Amino acid sequence: MMRIPFRVVFEQRGETPRRLSLLVPLASVLAALFFGALFLLATGYSPIDTYTNMFRDGFASFNGITDTLALSTVLICTGISAAFAFQMNLYNIGGEGQLYLGLIGGAWAGIALGDHLPTLIMVPIVLLCGALAGAAWIFVPAFVRSRLGTSEIVSTLLLTYIGASLIKHVIYTPDSFFRNPNTSFPQGRRVADSASLDSFGSSRLYPTFFVALIIAGALYWIVKRTEFGYRINVISDSPRAAHYAGINARRTTIWVMLISGALSGLAGAMLIVGPYGKIEPSIITLGYGYAGIVVAALARNNLGLIIVSGILFSGLRVGGNNLQVTTDTPIHIGVMLQGAILLFALGGEAFRRYHIHVVRVQDATARKAAV
Amino acid sequence: MSSTSHEVARGPHHNSGAASTALSAHSIDKKFPGVLANDSVDFDVRAGEVHTLLGENGAGKSTLAAVLCGLYQPDAGYLMRNGKRINLSSPRAGLQHGIAMVHQHFRLVERFSVSENVILGSRDLPFKLNRRDINEKVASVAESYGLPIDPNATVGDLSVGQRQRVEIVKALYQGAEILLLDEPTAVLVPSEVEKLFENVHAMTAAGKSIVFISHKLGEVVEISDRVTVLRNGRVTGHVSGRGTTDTKELARLMVGRDIELNAQRATHATGHEILQIRNLSLSVENVAVLSDISFNVHAGEMVGIAGVAGNGQRELADTIAGLISPTSGSVSISGAMTTDCGPIQAREVGLAYVPEDRLGMGLVPSMTILDNLLLTRDRKVVVDRVSVRPEATRLIEQFEIKANGPDHLARKLSGGNAQKVLLARELSGGRSATKLLVVCSPTRGLDVGAIETVRRLLNDARRAGQAILLISEDLDEVLSLSDRVFVLYRGAVVLETPGESAQLSQVGAAMAGLANEGRS
Repeated sequence: MMRIPFRVVFEQRGETPRRLSLLVPLASVLAALFFGALFLLATGYSPIDTYTNMFRDGFASFNGITDTLALSTVLICTGISAAFAFQMNLYNIGGEGQLYLGLIGGAWAGIALGDHLPTLIMVPIVLLCGALAGAAWIFVPAFVRSRLGTSEIVSTLLLTYIGASLIKHVIYTPDSFFRNPNTSFPQGRRVADSASLDSFGSSRLYPTFFVALIIAGALYWIVKRTEFGYRINVISDSPRAAHYAGINARRTTIWVMLISGALSGLAGAMLIVGPYGKIEPSIITLGYGYAGIVVAALARNNLGLIIVSGILFSGLRVGGNNLQVTTDTPIHIGVMLQGAILLFALGGEAFRRYHIHVVRVQDATARKAAV
Repeated sequence: MSSTSHEVARGPHHNSGAASTALSAHSIDKKFPGVLANDSVDFDVRAGEVHTLLGENGAGKSTLAAVLCGLYQPDAGYLMRNGKRINLSSPRAGLQHGIAMVHQHFRLVERFSVSENVILGSRDLPFKLNRRDINEKVASVAESYGLPIDPNATVGDLSVGQRQRVEIVKALYQGAEILLLDEPTAVLVPSEVEKLFENVHAMTAAGKSIVFISHKLGEVVEISDRVTVLRNGRVTGHVSGRGTTDTKELARLMVGRDIELNAQRATHATGHEILQIRNLSLSVENVAVLSDISFNVHAGEMVGIAGVAGNGQRELADTIAGLISPTSGSVSISGAMTTDCGPIQAREVGLAYVPEDRLGMGLVPSMTILDNLLLTRDRKVVVDRVSVRPEATRLIEQFEIKANGPDHLARKLSGGNAQKVLLARELSGGRSATKLLVVCSPTRGLDVGAIETVRRLLNDARRAGQAILLISEDLDEVLSLSDRVFVLYRGAVVLETPGESAQLSQVGAAMAGLANEGRS
């Protein structure tokens, strides 16, 4: 009888050895680069040149690194938004839609309040309005989730489509408040000058980057050190223990989702006070909110790692997108490489969680019989 | 590797019968990550005998049983059936050699009838089943071993004892010669245990071999022809001869030191009423779960609630603890009405509650011991772990918890140590000094050493003047520790009796719903 002489055995690890936590992500990236190299070779590009360009444009040039940090400002916020909800096993898939609302909320404040207040007061107000708009967008999903157990995955996702329509509506409607009245082109109306920040020098990096860092640190601290974070940890691990201890899971669910929505809304408002200065309808093609989910997954939903994964992911994206500009490589190669690196990084998880070994079938039976 | 010296005293009973060895295991090793669950274990069972595997939780009994029935493959060592070496690659292969396991948690389809469950998994069934033939065959198998059961009954309607019978009939129907019974008495009331033992005798009389797995010394001595004791994956002793065995000696082999087996009642020094329950009733979806329960527990008194699982014990405890609002009636703790007040208010007037489910309800598995101590306490807005740390260290020492320190994760604790953490937290008071302690199945699943400690802690607490409500399915425990015992049956108190003079038969009958005298 013909038999396959080998068998792959997945054995769950009791504890992940510390060196693997470092080795596996590193090996995953190398494997992804190797995989990408095969593709590049097959399509006639030099892997080494392509990778060198990608790295230079993403991390190792002034424009590269500042663009990367600028993009990471938004992605760190949407990343924490997803990861924070996940602390309580809630999936906020609608960060994208909450970001749109943050854009609208921020733009409303920036236009409606006019140029009367100093920037130091105006910008926080714009950011706050964006965050509140994001929170408002998730309120209904949060409420029905906590009361009726309605899946927040579906409700937040579907609201994103409505959010996208809303962006189009406020820009394409002829006499819209948010539309630039001085041109017949569908463009957003600029916010007051006091609601716009200046970028650093010749770069496209705005001070909001540091706001994102502070927010990431604050959320980490809240989950690790405060009573609110303690409650989140109890509920996510065992709802029955929460009930036993008199912890109100419904109220905590609503708060966690509102904060998650506010963080995505904040990301939208950061675009208003930073690079956009108005509602840019092309936002609905960029997927910054969805990218936040990937950033969170890359950090394994560990709030302490969101900054790192947000910057890495941004660098990949900036470097990949620039391939088309600096070389003749089509943008799809860049996108494919991003995808490969992410897939391999997430797939590497299996090696952290399982001990994988190949057993020779004859050996196994021989060993049993030998005794 | 099989040549390691392995000296175990064998009893004199060794060559008494003419019965041959039906199944034997030789130098079995089985490793799991971080644990050597079986360390060159030898075991054999003869035709027509009951051979018990005795050991604490984690001693390796279940692992050995899983190897014997083909569920696990040993890392080293081999099995012999009737003198021939066999290799069991799956439980099905075990069954082909006439070896079957009756699991502690039944594997039955509740919507199916008895005979449908019995034939489930048979591979040589015709496309169209002849139910009458099958029913007849199932009934005849059942009757020949004194296991009367209606083949047409739906399993979902059967009692736990009857379901166990279905499992046994299924094994016999499939042609089992060797039956492994994994903790079969854990779920049974005393009268059902008696019936099971009769069935076991009927099976051994017919030449079947029984491997009986247990950690309850009393029943082991009663039922076994031979006993093999395991500790930490190794065989620590063989004892032969039914009824002649000294339980103390078995306990010593099992635990590795002398232990006090009989729980002692603490002194009677009851004070004023701490817990008052008045006409408590609870209906869930129009089904009465608790009906008209009234009783008091005094300071320094231990009141026991006995009953078969699922007769309202958990709901009673949860209601007292403020987790469930009763349909009617009231609960008050040291004079303060706590009905409908929620767990935090109940704790503020002195409640402490050790639920049956330790990890997952009483403790948060992924949290540290330190964080778990904070679970039922008043936490500030910013959780102050620094000032609690010395207390955590002190409690770990005082309650003899085996842990690396306050940062040890709860899920990495053994059952006994998890229970000690829970007791440490609840007894040390949180939102106020503990006045009333509600404990559910405090020693369930624990090994003998931990049982001893937990019972000592309960008695200490009661001597210190705390009122204790002990809810347990372990009848011996309830009777030996409590001042007064209530028996709960279908949500109602059907018997009240003093713990000291309680009669086992009377309490057992009440648990089975046969009480006709009502409350005295």
